Amino acid sequence: MKPVQFSVASKLVGDAAVIYPKGYLNNLSGESLVNECGIYIRRGITKIVVNFSETDLINSIGISLLLQIMEDLRNIRGTICCTNMSKFLHDTFEMLGLLQHMIVFPVESDAIKYLKAGTR
Amino acid sequence: MPFNAIPAEDFFNRENELHYLKGLSELKKSALGGDVFLEGARGMGKTELLKQLYRLLYWEDEVVPFYYSFKTANLKGAYFAKDYFSGFVRQYVAFKKKDSTIVQSAAEPFERLMPAISSLGLYWLIDCIEDFQTHVNKNDVYWQIVAAISAPVIAAKKSGKPVIVMLDDFDAAASLYESSLGDATGLISLFRESMQNSLCPHVMTGSAGALETVFTDHSLIGMTEQMRLGPLPEDAAGELFGAHLANLKITPPPAGEVKFLALLKGNPLYIRNLAKAAWKMRKKELHQKDLIECYGFEVSGGETAFYWSSVLNRYAKTPTGRRSMLKILMHWVDNGGLDDIKRLSILSGVSESETAVILTSLNLSGIVRERDAVLQDFIRCLYMKEIEGRDTVYAKEKIEAKYLSEKEESCFELVIPMSSNAELVVAKAVEQIGKNSNLDAEFLNYLQLALIEVCINAMEHSGSYEKKVFLKFITRPGTLEIVVENSGKPFSPETRKEIPVEEKLRMGIKRGWGFKLVYAIMDHVKVERVNDRTRVIMTKNIKDKEGVE
Repeated sequence: MKPVQFSVASKLVGDAAVIYPKGYLNNLSGESLVNECGIYIRRGITKIVVNFSETDLINSIGISLLLQIMEDLRNIRGTICCTNMSKFLHDTFEMLGLLQHMIVFPVESDAIKYLKAGTR
Repeated sequence: MPFNAIPAEDFFNRENELHYLKGLSELKKSALGGDVFLEGARGMGKTELLKQLYRLLYWEDEVVPFYYSFKTANLKGAYFAKDYFSGFVRQYVAFKKKDSTIVQSAAEPFERLMPAISSLGLYWLIDCIEDFQTHVNKNDVYWQIVAAISAPVIAAKKSGKPVIVMLDDFDAAASLYESSLGDATGLISLFRESMQNSLCPHVMTGSAGALETVFTDHSLIGMTEQMRLGPLPEDAAGELFGAHLANLKITPPPAGEVKFLALLKGNPLYIRNLAKAAWKMRKKELHQKDLIECYGFEVSGGETAFYWSSVLNRYAKTPTGRRSMLKILMHWVDNGGLDDIKRLSILSGVSESETAVILTSLNLSGIVRERDAVLQDFIRCLYMKEIEGRDTVYAKEKIEAKYLSEKEESCFELVIPMSSNAELVVAKAVEQIGKNSNLDAEFLNYLQLALIEVCINAMEHSGSYEKKVFLKFITRPGTLEIVVENSGKPFSPETRKEIPVEEKLRMGIKRGWGFKLVYAIMDHVKVERVNDRTRVIMTKNIKDKEGVE
């Protein structure tokens, strides 16, 4: 693990927002992630892909903030897909029993295809 | 008993002190010396030095030795007077006749000694005994004490032969009383006249710092010189240990395996007790591991433990007081400081005024003056037994593990501030430690996560004023142990409520994942409260695929 300063980037692909959390996902960075998603949700975007390819490490506060995003999307009948998760991250979510509440794809493009297919 | 000194050849490195004390009566006669207060940490051999001096004087026949130990004395005036007087008479007659059995038959009445005293022509001693008896018959406690204390002076004056009075654990004399504890303060000052006599040098031992509290008369302090008995140098300590082992027919450890002895800091009592422990444990030859095993036995339930336990009992009279004192001492072992009465009061669970009394006792006792590793291990063991309710075997094993692991393991300690992202420093540290131990990189991610969770739990919930998290990483073959400690509010994982994810999402509860992760990642997690600290001990068994042993 090489924790780097957290940053969050994003882009719009069709009607889905793709978010790239980078670095260590904790309380502060988790807030940034929530805010970034919030921007899209307020713009009416209901499909969000979180690409974890550059997420080094996560802690339980970061996880709780991710749940916040899931809850926010559920309230607007939106969808969240998680992609490019390292084995470590995947196993961590599994340990907590969170995987069954997420839609997980190996890569971002699979998630985009899935969302384009018009689910919900 | 003054006659149970160890053989002179086993009494190491105190030749100068012994020589000086031996010549004390000459020095006092010519006003070049006075009385001596022998100071030194417990177990340094103060009592043994007195016994060696006693034996030397006894056989040289120039100066009469008189030894009295306050350690075991009954401090009720009448009992003390009788014991002190009787002790002196018997030791004096034994000295004259060179018959130590006279001292040993303490139960024998004085009348039986009369023929011996008469045959020695000590008629003044018979007068002394009669005078003492008169005070006893009159039930005059004060004069009984005066007569007892004056006996060596009278003997020196009448015979012209100086008497060296050796008062072991003399500070206890400050507690002499008439009929009930504390009813007569200052009886100790009755020694003043005896101490001022030029024919009777006094050699006293006591706890460090006791002198000022014992003598209210400053002229006595002025004429009393302090002699400090320091630890044995390393080579002498090794030699002494070897001599004890030779007496017990045990093969000493090879030269490269005696480093552990340095822990005993040249304390002759500890050295002797360790050798005896080896004998009790039926060791025929010693290696480092055996030494550690014997040491664990000693500090958890051996003679060293018994010794320190008796010392504590002298300063903590009730079981409740002892428990409170123990909690305070444990705090001292862990943190060092004993200044914050308010905090210590919370720790010990007794009022601030009682805490202050305990601290005064501890300071008087001199126990906490020096950081003695053996004493600290004893306190750890006693704490495990009396506060945590563990048994002696458990305490012994813990101590052994501490030293065995220090040898066989690599150990890293780290202190981080409770500040933002400080847990990342820990993550980085564990990454490097893992690399040093050839641990698998992915496996390390889990360890990092577990550690981060424990650290942020401490930072978020402890409310610690200290604002520090203490970490220790211990790698042993096949195991990694991580200990995380912080002061502040207690934390118990039992209070952790398992809420299903669905419910969490439904109820909007998003926190509370930390220890779930820790338990899932680590093989064993133990959370305990040690003093005012929460200690989390996490163990991970390292399998072949995770790391190379």
